[in-house]
Amino acid sequence: MLRIDNLQVYYGDAHALWDISLHVSQSEICTLVGANGGGKTTLLKAICGLLAVREGSIFFDGVDLLAVKAEKRVDLGLSMCPEGRKIFPGMTVEENLAVGAYNKRVWKKKGGLLEKNYELFPKLRERRNQVSGTLSGGERQMLAIARALMSEPKLLILDEPSLGLAPKTVENVMETIKTINKTGVTILLVEQNVNISLQISQRGYVIESGRIVMHESSDVLLSSPHVKQAYLGL
Amino acid sequence: MTNFPVIFEQIVNGLVLGSMYALVASGLTLIWGTMKMLNFAHGELYMLGGFGLYFAVSLLHLPPWTSVPLVLAAVFILAVLLEKGLISPLLGRPDWDVSAVVATLGIGIFIQNFAFKFWGGDFQEVPYMIPGTVTSLGVTLAWHRLYILGLALAVLIAFWQGMKKTRFGLALRATAQESEAATLMGIPYRKIYTLTFSISASLAALAGTALAPIFSVNPWMGSGPLIKAFIVVILGGLGSFVGAILGGFIIGISESLSVLFLGSGWKDLICFLLLILVLVFKPAGLLGGKEW
Amino acid sequence: MEDYRGRQLKIFRGVNPLFMWGVFLALLLLPLVIRSEYTLSVLIICLIYGTLAASWNLMVGYAGILSFGHQAFYGLGAYFSAIITMKFQLSPWIGIPLGGFFAALLSLAIGFPCLRLRIAPYIAIATLAFSEILLVICKNWVSLTRGEMGLSGIPPLQDFSLFGLAIFTFSTGGKIPYYYTMIGIFILTMLFINFQAGSKVGLAFRAMRDEQDAAASLGVNLTRYKLTAFLTGSFFAGITGGFYAHYISILAPDAVFGIGEMVEIVAVTLMGGIGTFFGPVLGAFVLVIGLEVLRGLSDYRLMIYGAVLVILIIMMPHGLLAGLTQLLNKVKTRTAGQLRKAGS
Repeated sequence: MLRIDNLQVYYGDAHALWDISLHVSQSEICTLVGANGGGKTTLLKAICGLLAVREGSIFFDGVDLLAVKAEKRVDLGLSMCPEGRKIFPGMTVEENLAVGAYNKRVWKKKGGLLEKNYELFPKLRERRNQVSGTLSGGERQMLAIARALMSEPKLLILDEPSLGLAPKTVENVMETIKTINKTGVTILLVEQNVNISLQISQRGYVIESGRIVMHESSDVLLSSPHVKQAYLGL
Repeated sequence: MTNFPVIFEQIVNGLVLGSMYALVASGLTLIWGTMKMLNFAHGELYMLGGFGLYFAVSLLHLPPWTSVPLVLAAVFILAVLLEKGLISPLLGRPDWDVSAVVATLGIGIFIQNFAFKFWGGDFQEVPYMIPGTVTSLGVTLAWHRLYILGLALAVLIAFWQGMKKTRFGLALRATAQESEAATLMGIPYRKIYTLTFSISASLAALAGTALAPIFSVNPWMGSGPLIKAFIVVILGGLGSFVGAILGGFIIGISESLSVLFLGSGWKDLICFLLLILVLVFKPAGLLGGKEW
Repeated sequence: MEDYRGRQLKIFRGVNPLFMWGVFLALLLLPLVIRSEYTLSVLIICLIYGTLAASWNLMVGYAGILSFGHQAFYGLGAYFSAIITMKFQLSPWIGIPLGGFFAALLSLAIGFPCLRLRIAPYIAIATLAFSEILLVICKNWVSLTRGEMGLSGIPPLQDFSLFGLAIFTFSTGGKIPYYYTMIGIFILTMLFINFQAGSKVGLAFRAMRDEQDAAASLGVNLTRYKLTAFLTGSFFAGITGGFYAHYISILAPDAVFGIGEMVEIVAVTLMGGIGTFFGPVLGAFVLVIGLEVLRGLSDYRLMIYGAVLVILIIMMPHGLLAGLTQLLNKVKTRTAGQLRKAGS
């Protein structure tokens, strides 16, 4: 579904990502883990078109993403829930979700999509007219995920959904991600919380200092000594 | 001098004047809310509206009601070109807040003096949209002034609803609040900026066509309204439409009343004093948010 | 493209004194080679705008206060000196400095309301409004300023002798003494700016300009330094105004308080490079002389200034010199690249 080959990404003149090769297969939950500053968000920004790519290729469902402008990538079925949620603080919950369906492909179906997402996130339905700036961290995360789902994506990318959330809330979020995956949405989960992301995913990549250093199935990663030492504190 | 009917009449005049100011200010507040920029060329776009109406009516002999939409369209197109060519390159630069001001200042001065050089410094007359007056409750008002009041209210209501209910309005608000997330949702933020700027320019031009019959068309007709519009917008709170209306009315009524007590030469001082007061005591404006 | 503010983060060691005095010396010696009264009058105008621009640059480029009301201080100094010398028979040599102090005093009237403002556009509007108020007052207070009819018969500078050695006679109407007076004002302004920039005040200014909140949290007393910037910037604009009044002998409200003056100051500074030392003066010489040379275009003067502002801010926000150097570098690297390709 998503195929990245030999990607080189720069921030201005600084080389940030080196030879990134990665793929995500249909219907799976694939995870990308690494420490802060390892390059996770940089890679996601490149995939979504927020950052320019100097060399390499990104193919989504056979389409060359680098030839597609950032705002048109949603059209293809790619959706990202950004780091820090980035909800629209001055808008209500429902308005936030509406923006998620901005894309012409889904705008007409907005009403139906709203219903679907309220089913998945009943808490949001309760707060549909509340100004989103006043929501709690966990509620915001749910809102951000729901908003990303409003465009009926084939691939949902989540950038550090566990950030700043209490452990119980993180569990809820992860459960929701699994449920979403079961409805047929492919997931690319990017996380700092290595343990829990490896637990819900099938395959994983480890990124360090701008390079992919490991690529295995999640079980193998969970029991790898390097991962245990560097990320699981064991 | 200070008897009730006279004061009442001045208050009504003030409301009309205030709606004029609000109309001019509405475009400014729209741009600020989305692009975080203060358009110093706003006065000249207003002036182009006035001149456009003059040319359409006096040279092309078109009726005013047909001329106005044409003028608005022309200014819209000009604004698209200006934004794409001169303002877009500055977006994203760290000195945006300064460079946008300088750029629009330059554009404004250029347009103003272009008009002076090529269209002359004479004051041109333009006909009223609706001739004649109406008298009620002891106050006589020109129909045209009521037209202005109605126009201002119509524009403001249209925006208020438009921002809330339309797909474009939603996109605009999203871009203003979180442009990166908006891009992720498929909103083309650069196009939004261009459209916003151009709509704002058309609003300025609309105000120009509306006020031209009263104040006469000349190359400098925009400077006064520009400053007043800035003050209205700061008084009401940058980014707030309701604030623009409120600010407009407050300044309009204050000015009108001050004519009674100070004479017309000094009435311009009133809005400046109000500005100083706002800046000292509540820089965010009456309905403004956190930014100032 | 980079922000002009980011560029000045390096420690300010002051302008190379040799260079600075070199420039001053060159300016002082100019009248020895230039005999034409006309050229001298052009140079005087260059210096007037140069000093205005330098004092504006102090506020904007050094302290980060985007003032669009600098012309107010120019006007205040001009009118104050003109009026008190005419009303009280004072010597312009007293009137001019007093004009400066008056401008500085009034700068507090706009400085205080601006204290709480953080965003550049707000300060621009507030200062512009301040200047416009003064324009209105000047036009309407006819009994004091004669309004739009203008103030004429302003006394010229008085003759005086320097240590009994040289006698500066202004009464002959020659431009040279005026030129030297303006040079004096210019040098005084630049020396002060240099001194201030290298001092604790200058450090505070730069901290304030680059990151107000950070500066405040580090203990920089923003109020004190913002007001200092207003006071000093306005003082030098004020004495320049005073000089202008006694040089031209007539004053009209729009000639000093008008937006045209404001645009000229901004264009000149931008062209030379905001935040640089000699930039503003350089810009003044380039623009004023440039427009004199292209005399046929004088009708388009303000149009040109407007276009200059736009072109500069988009393509050369650091000023003409810096922009040209960058352009030259680009051409160099591109030709080098092409040569390499051709060679291989």
